[in-house]
Amino acid sequence: MSAFKYGVSLYSYTEDLGTVMSLEDAFDHVAGTGSTGIEILGETSIPTYPEPTTAWLDNWFALLDRYQLEPTNMAAWVDTRITIGRNMSAEEGAAQIAQDLRLAHRLGFKFLRPKFGVIDGELTPDPIWQPAVERNLDLAHQLGIVILPEIHSPTPIKHPVTDAYIAFIERTGTKNFGLMIDTGIFQDRPLNKWGGGETDEIRKKALSFLNGIKVPVEHLADVIQYVPFIQAKFHHIDENLHDHHIPWDRIVPMLKKLGYAGYLSSEYEGARDPWVSIEQVRRQHALIRKLEAEYDAAHGGNVHA
Amino acid sequence: MLERSHIQSTGFHNIGPVGARTGFEVRIRQPNYRSSRLSLIEGVDLVIDGVEYPAEQSRIRVGDREYSHAEMAEETVARLYVGSYFTVIVPKAGGLAPGVHHVASSIRFRHPYFPPEFQPVFVRDARHATIILP
Repeated sequence: MSAFKYGVSLYSYTEDLGTVMSLEDAFDHVAGTGSTGIEILGETSIPTYPEPTTAWLDNWFALLDRYQLEPTNMAAWVDTRITIGRNMSAEEGAAQIAQDLRLAHRLGFKFLRPKFGVIDGELTPDPIWQPAVERNLDLAHQLGIVILPEIHSPTPIKHPVTDAYIAFIERTGTKNFGLMIDTGIFQDRPLNKWGGGETDEIRKKALSFLNGIKVPVEHLADVIQYVPFIQAKFHHIDENLHDHHIPWDRIVPMLKKLGYAGYLSSEYEGARDPWVSIEQVRRQHALIRKLEAEYDAAHGGNVHA
Repeated sequence: MLERSHIQSTGFHNIGPVGARTGFEVRIRQPNYRSSRLSLIEGVDLVIDGVEYPAEQSRIRVGDREYSHAEMAEETVARLYVGSYFTVIVPKAGGLAPGVHHVASSIRFRHPYFPPEFQPVFVRDARHATIILP
């Protein structure tokens, strides 16, 4: 029976990193969950992005070795509306992705998530995404990296944005482009505290987003063949291992049934009080591992330690 | 490491010659979760003790480089990194009086991946901070 891989995105420790947590502290917390993978945000984690110093690179590889973690996904951005009055050209977008592919490869990553600027409230990506990615498919192939845009609330699975990504994969036949699912799309109860940079304006105008778009987990079946990596977005898990927003008791069995064997990379996005994220991530790992073990036991598979 | 608040205690001081101050400075932690090209910051508005100091009249210092509001808008390469701060330089004849002030900041962040109606978003902070020297 297929088994999940467990990882943590350093996005989970937002605000702690840079105020009360060092990169090595973060490695310790990730390794302490029993994870095998670490996900970073390139321009966040690398203090001289896009060009890491030799000292930073030496430290990076030493930390990977000491904590026995493998680099999973590197998050990157294509800032299409680069100035107030000017959008990136396809050439500029392609150069941005090429730069991040090379950096991700240098650090040992297997996935690159470029976050494209959007043109509307449906999060339709700027149309340069397609030529910018297509120009990099050969490079991604050479470097052994899969480019993964994320399917992120308020964009559901059954949506023209997702359809356009799948049409691109089918047209090009590429193995170096896929979908990353952000589990925030399954949120089915409202958020009372969002850790994603909440402002008064967002709270007033983005109600559907904060209330959750409630994508049925069954829709995963339509796209799972294109999904090699999942960001396990969550906002609050209480001391009874009850998640207040994300229905893991439905997500985990569905992923198991579909044979998903990739990473679940924790993305905590809740209260940003100091150090809260460390315990929240640990609770999520305890919860998902418990649900995976229960599924395996009920289906005659191995119970994972 | 920096204080958790965006507005930092250290760095809040008057500038210019003693007795003929030309303004004041406020140090602000880069509060976003990723580094930001300067061109994605559409300005930093301040309110000190109820008096507004709009972004268009201030300059921003990052490291040892200073930018006017217009120069920031076109700077697409230099970045504000997570874990770092920038300084808002505000012209004000005489500077601020020594003592505790109420300082509020609002950073206009443009996130290109946010729906256009949320470009920019206003990332706010407010606290008390102290000017020591007149």
